[in-house]
Amino acid sequence: MKRILTVDDSTSVRQMVSFALGKAGYEVTEAVDGKDGLDKASEGKFDLIITDLNMPNMDGIQMIEAVRKLPANGFIPILMLTTESQAAKKDAGRKAGATGWIVKPFNAEQLLATIQKLVK
Amino acid sequence: MSVGTIADPVITLEKAKGGLQRIAATTETQMQSVALTFRELAGQADTILSLAAAIVGCVENEGVSSILPKVQTLGAAARQFIGERLHATAGILDAVATEVEVLRQLSQVTTQQADIALKTQALSVLTNVEVAHLGEMGTGFQYLAHELANFSRSLIEDALTLESRTDARKAAILDTKRVLSTELPRLREKLAVIEADLGADLANLDSSLIQLSRTPAQFKMGVEDIAQQIDGVVSAIQAHDITRQQSEHVEEAFAIISARIGEAENSKNGIVQDFPQAYAGLTIQIYQLKSIKVTVETWTMQIKTCMDGILRVSASEMVGIGPTVLGQERDVSSQLAHIELLERESQSYSARIQHTLEGLSSLMQFVSEHVRRSKSVRDRLRLLSFNSIIEASHLGTKADAVLAIAKTIKEISAEWNQITDRSGRAMEEMQALMNQTNTMMEAFSESSNEKLREAQFQTRAGLENLRAAAAFAAKQSQEMEMITGKMRAKGAEVGGTYDLLDSCSGQIEGILTQLESLRNGLELEHPGVKHGYDEMEAERLYSATYTTEIEREILRAALRGAPLPVAQPALAGNGVELF
Repeated sequence: MKRILTVDDSTSVRQMVSFALGKAGYEVTEAVDGKDGLDKASEGKFDLIITDLNMPNMDGIQMIEAVRKLPANGFIPILMLTTESQAAKKDAGRKAGATGWIVKPFNAEQLLATIQKLVK
Repeated sequence: MSVGTIADPVITLEKAKGGLQRIAATTETQMQSVALTFRELAGQADTILSLAAAIVGCVENEGVSSILPKVQTLGAAARQFIGERLHATAGILDAVATEVEVLRQLSQVTTQQADIALKTQALSVLTNVEVAHLGEMGTGFQYLAHELANFSRSLIEDALTLESRTDARKAAILDTKRVLSTELPRLREKLAVIEADLGADLANLDSSLIQLSRTPAQFKMGVEDIAQQIDGVVSAIQAHDITRQQSEHVEEAFAIISARIGEAENSKNGIVQDFPQAYAGLTIQIYQLKSIKVTVETWTMQIKTCMDGILRVSASEMVGIGPTVLGQERDVSSQLAHIELLERESQSYSARIQHTLEGLSSLMQFVSEHVRRSKSVRDRLRLLSFNSIIEASHLGTKADAVLAIAKTIKEISAEWNQITDRSGRAMEEMQALMNQTNTMMEAFSESSNEKLREAQFQTRAGLENLRAAAAFAAKQSQEMEMITGKMRAKGAEVGGTYDLLDSCSGQIEGILTQLESLRNGLELEHPGVKHGYDEMEAERLYSATYTTEIEREILRAALRGAPLPVAQPALAGNGVELF
């Protein structure tokens, strides 16, 4: 079973992501902010990470940069799920190592289709 | 500054911030609860959709829509089949009536024949007397007396036999006539009852089959609507995160505005710079709060609509259809069983009619023989008559009695000729009756019910499929009803959330009133503030922490006095942009 890490300071968003992906057969782990996300990514082996941008303790960009430095996670797909849509922010995400960008709210079907391609 | 003392705006903004924080806490808690509830509802909706789709698929695969035409075809085939047999039986009844008449004519022939036999016998005695009287001259007539005596005996025997046969035949066909006359109306009545009942049962079944075909699909569509609304609620739950951030930015802006108002009091350029920036900030936050209010109202409405739909969803109509169809299928099957019974009953008359036919055939053979003998007797009588006249002519004056005898023989011959003709006609009529009855017997042949058998086979198969579909629908519907019951209970739990979210809209309105009052106070005190701020500076100051495009659009609209941009609710959600 493929494992996915979802990182967001909003409980309800984490619940929605877990619900959508769990229904499709993925094992979902939740993290409450960037630091928690980094800790969990270091401990476990994930097939994909979905992270928010604006979070306390460590934001999404910082978390991605740190995850990319982890030995096992250099090529792991990372999707940014955020309210931000500005080009400058997207560019920053891409440079940090994000694989893709989703502006909230997400379309569950399209998200699942993309994840299916990325984790094959 | 007399917007009251400087503390007043700060206190107002502090209170507003507190209000927003309380609203944020409430909505966060409620939206988490809603998220959990709707996760479960979404799962239940999926299950119901699967069950409904299974019913729809089963109804289609079992060819439920084709059963009614099959039963109607069977009804028509049965009507035609039984009708043909009834018609044949009625025709045979007519043939029997005709045969009774023919037998009456044969009885008359028998009577006439008996009369002639007596006359011939008397004539034989007279001839014997005359032969005795003529002595030697009468020797030539001895054979005539002998022949007449033989004729008489054979005619009497034949007449008796014919009478016996016709009497027996009459008794047999009168019995057949009695039975058929009684049974024919009874069969007709039974067929009429079956037709009426079958028609009524088919009408009921038609209505139920339409329901069975349509209701699952309609129910499925209804649940699909709810599933879409659940998706809408799921999007609303996600959008709450945007609103939460928006609200936090408004709280942060209150701090900036409070600071600006404080600086304005202590600064030389306060009236020129700080109050206008504070005014601009208040205007922007009023716009932002109005946007938040609209968004909260949208989710609230989305949740309410979805909840209302869930509370209405019920599979009770579906639960009733399966058993109804099963009951009606039993009614129709019962009618089909009646048809089969009627078919067997009508077949039982075939044996009786066949027997009638055989009896008629047997009689006809006898009558045919009788006619043949009659013709032979006729020819013989003619010859006797002729010979008598010749012999009489040889006797000269003593031939008077012989001539009288010869004349009587001639009369008898003519009478016999008539009898022979009558017997011949009776035989011809019997032949016609035979042919007519044979034709009608085809209605009782094995090949005559092929169409009916085929229709019965098709209908039985169709009804079996219908039973399977209805039983499946009944089972699935009960499960659906159980799940929709759970959904309704779950939906009712959300009622409290809806009320709390609804009240948040009122609380936001309260905060807006306070801010607008504060802004108006500022404008009254310093009329130049309304147009005294620098737009770019205001944008830089208040949008530094913004994380969404809609906030920036709202800020620009507020600074320009444009209408409030409305965030289009992306109920379907956004897709993924891959780098």
